[in-house]
Amino acid sequence: MFHWLEKNPFFFAVAVFVVIAFAGLVEILPNFAQASRPIVGAKPYSTLELTGRLVYIKNNCNGCHSQLIRPFKSETDRYGSYSKSGEYAYDRPFLWGSKRTGPDLMRVGNYRTTDWHENHMRDPEEVVPGSIMPKYPWLFKNIADVDTAYAEQLTIKQLFAVPYNKPLPTADGSTQTVALADSLDGAHASALEEAKVVVADMKDQAVKDAVAAGKIPEIVALIAYLNRLK
Amino acid sequence: MNKTILAAIAFLLLMAGATYLAVGGAGGMGGEGDWVNKLAISGAVALFVITTVVVVKFVKQMQNDTASGKLADENWDGIGEYKNEAPFGYSVIYFGLVVWAIWYMLAGYPLGSYSQIGEYNKEVTSHDKKFEAKYAEKVKDPEYLKEMGESAFNSNCAACHGLQADGMDGKASDLHERISAESVKYVINNGGNYMKTSFPGGMPPMLLQDPVQIDAVSNYVANGFKADDAAGKAAFAAGTCNTCHGENGEGMPMVAPKLNAMDPDMVASVLKDGKKGAIGTMPAFNNLTEIQIKAIGAYVSSLSQK
Repeated sequence: MFHWLEKNPFFFAVAVFVVIAFAGLVEILPNFAQASRPIVGAKPYSTLELTGRLVYIKNNCNGCHSQLIRPFKSETDRYGSYSKSGEYAYDRPFLWGSKRTGPDLMRVGNYRTTDWHENHMRDPEEVVPGSIMPKYPWLFKNIADVDTAYAEQLTIKQLFAVPYNKPLPTADGSTQTVALADSLDGAHASALEEAKVVVADMKDQAVKDAVAAGKIPEIVALIAYLNRLK
Repeated sequence: MNKTILAAIAFLLLMAGATYLAVGGAGGMGGEGDWVNKLAISGAVALFVITTVVVVKFVKQMQNDTASGKLADENWDGIGEYKNEAPFGYSVIYFGLVVWAIWYMLAGYPLGSYSQIGEYNKEVTSHDKKFEAKYAEKVKDPEYLKEMGESAFNSNCAACHGLQADGMDGKASDLHERISAESVKYVINNGGNYMKTSFPGGMPPMLLQDPVQIDAVSNYVANGFKADDAAGKAAFAAGTCNTCHGENGEGMPMVAPKLNAMDPDMVASVLKDGKKGAIGTMPAFNNLTEIQIKAIGAYVSSLSQK
């Protein structure tokens, strides 16, 4: 066999490729297949959360805030447990960020609340003296783009089989389902339901009025997204 | 002087000239150039010289060398090889690698199985041990515990309650007072079902429904149970508040928190369970250790002591 391979350089090259590729498959694939699976408890974004995620991207929050907690004690003390790859399964694109001008936001939903975010977005220095984060007053005026979020949901559901409307396992053994409306109007309605929950904890009267009138300001979507980062 | 040497010298001159031109003439090597520039140029020159010398050496060897030494018995299609000694440096590296490979197999990666998470766990364990050794005795001193609580407060709580713990203009509760009238009113109307760790029973809503009485109780509690506030005292009894919270708001362990003073137990429970009140929601702080919770409890309780 070897003698034959040595006389046939092309097949020799093929054989070398097969051997190396096999080693790669054995070494890399099992771990990769495991690590890229959604972790138990991970769930896709609901319509309003995804809308908020688009607001997050649009305002380039990821330029200053990472979403990746490294396994060091100093980080886990401050931000919560370190990130696992399966937690990003439904992040397209992931928002790890590359630089922390501001703090990490991977689990910000665990230690900040709706009212805090509301104060903070309007004037960061009011709640964090000395903060260099700029104000984001337009979030309170601009109406969030639910259409795009819904389009994205439909796309990832069909293209990547993201499990909307399917029971997903949680850490305590029960299941949870993230609903996806079957029409654009339905998506708007469900986003508005979510928005009402967020707005109940907010103080800004103009935002409350907008939601009562059936419109969702960007701040509401963004807070819904930040609250679910856990 | 033969052709090879001439070519080498020509190459050197060419490269030196090119470098001289590329770095801007006298600016590079002369007085105006800084030392980084000079260092880089010296490095470049050294590279040309070394490259040229090595190339010349081997070209000459190819031109002049004649075969010598003892031939091995084997040959392949008439091509044989000399029985040369292995060069000393190679042997050292070879045996060094053998030693390293044994270490690597047994203590290094495959069997010792390094993992980032393993290292993280080690870091946490060693930190906890160090912390225990350093502070286990110190935290028994209440003053020290309070000081520790203040620094834990500043890094965990100050984001909402402010560095002065004054709640920053009502964005969070002012911890210098036990409870505000507004908060008492909220709890009477909505009940209190947080703080499950210390007070598992919770408190039902609507024990009082008359707004006048609710106001009376709110002011009575917020003002610190003043004995001359007869209306407040009466309303407090009418709402059966005293059955659990005590005649003067001294509370009851596992049933109801103290109302006349900040209670470390209650602070601990709020930190563990989070809370929803008149101002908004406070998240649970599950990342804090028991000692930190105790320390924050001590610090926060000290704020409202007059």
